[in-house]
Amino acid sequence: MWFRKVTAFVIRDFLWDVSYPLNFMWRGGSIFFSLVTFYFLGRLVGGTTAGHLAAYGGGGYFPFVLVGLALAGFQSVALTSISMAMQYGMYTGTLEAMLVTPTSLSTIVFSSVLYRFVSALLSIVMYLVFGVLLFGFPLAQADFLAAAVVLALALLAHLPLGIFSASFLLIFKRGDPITSLIGHLSALLAGVYFPLSVLPGWLQTVSFFLPFTHALEGLRQAVLNGRTVLDLSTEIMVLSIFAAILLPLSLTVFSYAIHQAKRLGTLSQF
Amino acid sequence: MGATPAVSVSRLSKYFPLITLRRILTGKGQPGVWALREVDFDLYPGEVLFILGPNGSGKTTLVKLIAGLLAPTTGRILVHGLDTVRFPLQVKERLGYITCNEYSFYGRLTGWHNLAFFAKLQNLDPQTAIPPVVEDLKLTEYLDRRFFTYSTGIKRRLDIARGLLHQPDILLLDEPTTNLDPLSAAKLRQLLVDIQAQGKTMIIVTHRLEEVHKLGGRVAIVQDGRLQEVTPQAGENLEELYTRMVGEKMHVVS
Repeated sequence: MWFRKVTAFVIRDFLWDVSYPLNFMWRGGSIFFSLVTFYFLGRLVGGTTAGHLAAYGGGGYFPFVLVGLALAGFQSVALTSISMAMQYGMYTGTLEAMLVTPTSLSTIVFSSVLYRFVSALLSIVMYLVFGVLLFGFPLAQADFLAAAVVLALALLAHLPLGIFSASFLLIFKRGDPITSLIGHLSALLAGVYFPLSVLPGWLQTVSFFLPFTHALEGLRQAVLNGRTVLDLSTEIMVLSIFAAILLPLSLTVFSYAIHQAKRLGTLSQF
Repeated sequence: MGATPAVSVSRLSKYFPLITLRRILTGKGQPGVWALREVDFDLYPGEVLFILGPNGSGKTTLVKLIAGLLAPTTGRILVHGLDTVRFPLQVKERLGYITCNEYSFYGRLTGWHNLAFFAKLQNLDPQTAIPPVVEDLKLTEYLDRRFFTYSTGIKRRLDIARGLLHQPDILLLDEPTTNLDPLSAAKLRQLLVDIQAQGKTMIIVTHRLEEVHKLGGRVAIVQDGRLQEVTPQAGENLEELYTRMVGEKMHVVS
């Protein structure tokens, strides 16, 4: 029964997505143009970055930033998808229509974001495929198992932040500071566009407390240097700790937010 | 009556606290709103209860409380003897809530895909659950079209179809003929008569007396959060009674 409901959400979102065929197809175009931009930027700064990027598969800027861009898109989905799904449901009234069925709010919320995650994973694949086919991205020595483990843990470590964000939205409707703060801090300090070694020491300390920093480092090491799961034990452990602490905490907060939303009557307002 | 009420509401009140930054920081400011106060009624299987009242009087709040979308501040609601707060999932299997909100569908999806999605959330097989309902509501020919291409009348019928998919014995309808042209409204009223004939228990929030006249049933007026069941006195029609109690005329379409 539960699986049937979850697939219903995935089918619904897929049908919705393909009902905008241009938008559906343009996603690939958008990734392509982003990669072209960074490819030429990589050629421009090529020689000067070698020292900072030596630890990432031989020092090229383009492979380094490609992994950063791909994972940044994935992180953005983890941070925003739950609150976006909630917002849409509350705004249109579809959430109420779902809530009067014998389906729990948790099932509704988490099933509503599954398609987005599948879509985000496909985007990562597209980054890699375009990178390999068009720009000579080196994928030969990648350890895919380690990459998959890091991706899964990155999801589990970031999803709670999205759940906090949705909880905030349930009660206060707008002005969610969590997504925005974590998103900006991660883009700046976790090393999407540049390695952490260029940051001052105290900012490197701050970046340690962002799960995205460890996810990025782990994924780059797995894809660019072929590091195995064992080699990445530090990153895997740190991400696991983030997930182990934040997941139960966020689910408790979410449950409290649902209770409050029913009490305050904010579930069907926007 | 000796039977268990289909819906039993006792001492039901709903208070909406107002959360503002000022109130959080200083404890001062507007305290909130009592949307319903001490509402009591029993509705037996097959009965129809019309809830009338001016805008903002608490009608929709009452329906949402019964549907489990809101939590009561005090009091309780039993659906076939089951508490809506303690047994929400079991209660929802017995209730059909017709939101009468066309935005609560997915406009880019076809009627079939919309109904199939909600059927699966009701633990139903769309292939067996949808056809009998859409045939009854004469919707079969529209199912392959996208929802946004429908007229308001068809959208409302699809809304009713969604509420009937799991064959609930209690229906909650929130202003079912609002925004419909007179012809579509008349067709919908006839549809409600047909549904009533199947023995469904219905709670219908409305601003229009035509529904009351066409279906017949018990009538209650909600004003300032208080619900009072009414019966016109000798020589008084329902419209006059409403005007006398509420102090304003009801919307009437001839």
